[in-house]
Amino acid sequence: MNRSYLFIPGDVPRMLQMLDVFDADAVIIDFEDAVALNQKDEARFLTRNFIQTHPPKAIEVYIRINHIIDDPKETMKDLEMIIDLPISGIVAPKINRLSLAKLDRYFEEKTSPLKIIGLVETPDVFFDLMTLAQHPRIQGLMLGAEDLTRIMNIERNLTGDNILWARSSIVYAMHSVSKEAIDTPYTVIHDHQGLAKDATIAANLGFTGKAVIHPNHVEGVHLAFTPTEHQILTAKKIVEYAKKNQSIRFNLDGKMVDKPIIDKAHALLEKYAKNGDKS
Amino acid sequence: MIVYDSVDILLNDLKLSDGMQLSFHHHLRDGDHVINQIMNAVNTRDIHDLRLHPSSIFPSYTAILEALKRNRISQLTTSYMNGPVAEYCMKHPLKHGLHMQTHGGRARAIMTEETVIDIAFIAAPTVDVLGNATGTIGPAACGSLGYAIADAKYAKTVILVTDNIIDHIENPQIKKDTVSAILKLKSIGDPKGIISGTTTITNDPVGIQIAKKATRLIEALGYIKPGFSFQTGAGGISLKISENIKQLMQQNNIQSSFITGGITQYHVEMLNLGMVKSLYDVQCFDLVAVDSLKNNPKHRSMSAHEYANPENPNRVIKNLDVVVLGATEIDLDFNVNVTTDSYNMIIGGSGGHSDTAEDAKLSIIVAPLIKARTPIIKQRVNTITTPGHTIDCFVCERGIAVNPRRQDLIKILEKSHVSIIPIEDLLALSHDYTGIPESFPSKKEVIGNVYDRHGRIIDYLYLKE
Repeated sequence: MNRSYLFIPGDVPRMLQMLDVFDADAVIIDFEDAVALNQKDEARFLTRNFIQTHPPKAIEVYIRINHIIDDPKETMKDLEMIIDLPISGIVAPKINRLSLAKLDRYFEEKTSPLKIIGLVETPDVFFDLMTLAQHPRIQGLMLGAEDLTRIMNIERNLTGDNILWARSSIVYAMHSVSKEAIDTPYTVIHDHQGLAKDATIAANLGFTGKAVIHPNHVEGVHLAFTPTEHQILTAKKIVEYAKKNQSIRFNLDGKMVDKPIIDKAHALLEKYAKNGDKS
Repeated sequence: MIVYDSVDILLNDLKLSDGMQLSFHHHLRDGDHVINQIMNAVNTRDIHDLRLHPSSIFPSYTAILEALKRNRISQLTTSYMNGPVAEYCMKHPLKHGLHMQTHGGRARAIMTEETVIDIAFIAAPTVDVLGNATGTIGPAACGSLGYAIADAKYAKTVILVTDNIIDHIENPQIKKDTVSAILKLKSIGDPKGIISGTTTITNDPVGIQIAKKATRLIEALGYIKPGFSFQTGAGGISLKISENIKQLMQQNNIQSSFITGGITQYHVEMLNLGMVKSLYDVQCFDLVAVDSLKNNPKHRSMSAHEYANPENPNRVIKNLDVVVLGATEIDLDFNVNVTTDSYNMIIGGSGGHSDTAEDAKLSIIVAPLIKARTPIIKQRVNTITTPGHTIDCFVCERGIAVNPRRQDLIKILEKSHVSIIPIEDLLALSHDYTGIPESFPSKKEVIGNVYDRHGRIIDYLYLKE
């Protein structure tokens, strides 16, 4: 489970070269919205050459391809250029049953292990989330609130109250299959307070991570998705007490602790062990 | 005190003649009007073999360029230069060469009379009728006049050049005792031009990564504690480090003893918040700093001698804990170049770089590993500005290298959460991205010297072909 997915334009050499510098857990090299049509070939060649000469180490790399239904020609060019690269997977825009099936078939034919993170950014797909979530090729679903609110003709406000249902739907679907629920990025670059608030809301809703559109947002997102010192200490205390007393139900510092709370404490410590020293 | 209102009449009375040594300061930086007005008048005369000692040379000092073209100048000695004058000097050797000093070394050379200045033309934003001067008030207020103090005390003739004469100055930075005359001009400069190149905190993600690593390094080495002192300068990354340090100080309720060097609004803010006891200001980098120097007694101006003269046992930087400096190049021995670029063109100079690196307890170089597709680390720098034995750490976005001479630091860091990497590995990493750059341009004809603060030649400048 990655806390941050940092988008990097595929046609900017300086950013590609720096993809492992910004402490993101994962990066998404973009061939779609961030790249103009006349730059797409450049992005493909640049990315391919870069990844071949500098295979990713200690960071997961994904590539956001074009939309296989709306733009099959560009998408096939994307897929042909990345299919054999040492990356973790692709990010598929406007995911739905049909686009997932087409992509999965392509990967099956190529016997590719690449995973898919589906971008949920159309209203209809919310009624199909469980089908998508259960698909073995799907690693996670990511909310794309910009396109979603545009299609629905509603304001994309900073409080996020009008995308609460969309957020929660993804969270519940993905938790039910123990896969990644990835929140939409915060789009105001220099508003670090707003970012902290938005990322905290996402973490509290149950997202496992968040998309990031600027390297300077990575730290703020990690802060929200990493347990606090107090949470870690409390979890350690619970786990140690349970182990020492061989108990699954006890009173600790005036609070009732039972099995779900002990399990949660274990899960939190596992999460911290994976990411704590990277934040 | 005699007041002139004509440069020509003044030059006549001064009997300006061949071979004279003239000095100027650069506190008005790119907004200076004094150097051009004096040198324009010089250029109309049939005078040759002048030796100039401007403390720095900026692109707007075009009259120096004209003087060079007219063969008026045979020697230039300065601490920093860029722009057309620098370009001309690198392609047209001077009869007596180009000499690059440090700020502290310049004060030392003047005070030991190793450098003898015949006439010091000192831009003085406000002068009183007795011949006292200050930089804190006046239409062209620039704050500290720190680099001009040695000139004012030791030049054979001292001319204050001003556009503002008042009856009396309290606490003048330059005292009347050594002043010979005043030259009143319509304008001595545009204070907006004093603003240093980058005086805003960086938003560049790579710069922020570097600043984060440097801050963690300083913290891990235990320097951020009550009473510590630091100098970060005015570069965007350096200012980000200042901001990070400020946050750590606020979190831990720490007050520092002093900040020194070039001062900016961010340092003033820390003073006003009570986070630092004093600012020792040799040069104001922005107008907020100028205003603070005028109004806040805890913001003190100091001379280059008080700041960095290596022969002054009480120099401020002798007590400096941490200095953060930039680099154009750094090599495997940690020698740093901030003087020339990879095309062998002068783009700067030591200023206080070499002085502070030598004196501070911890000297840190911050720079991106690759700048404009060129690795910052070289096998050997093109020009040594600051010797590697005075540099402790190099921080870039991909890691921290510690000079093997500082085993004490390495031992502390081994027990911390901060990991370090040999500078050779960082060089290899950069070559992995860029390939191995072509070697430096040929170095055939020496046209000048680079000096350390003690006056020793540490490298040479070569003709640009």
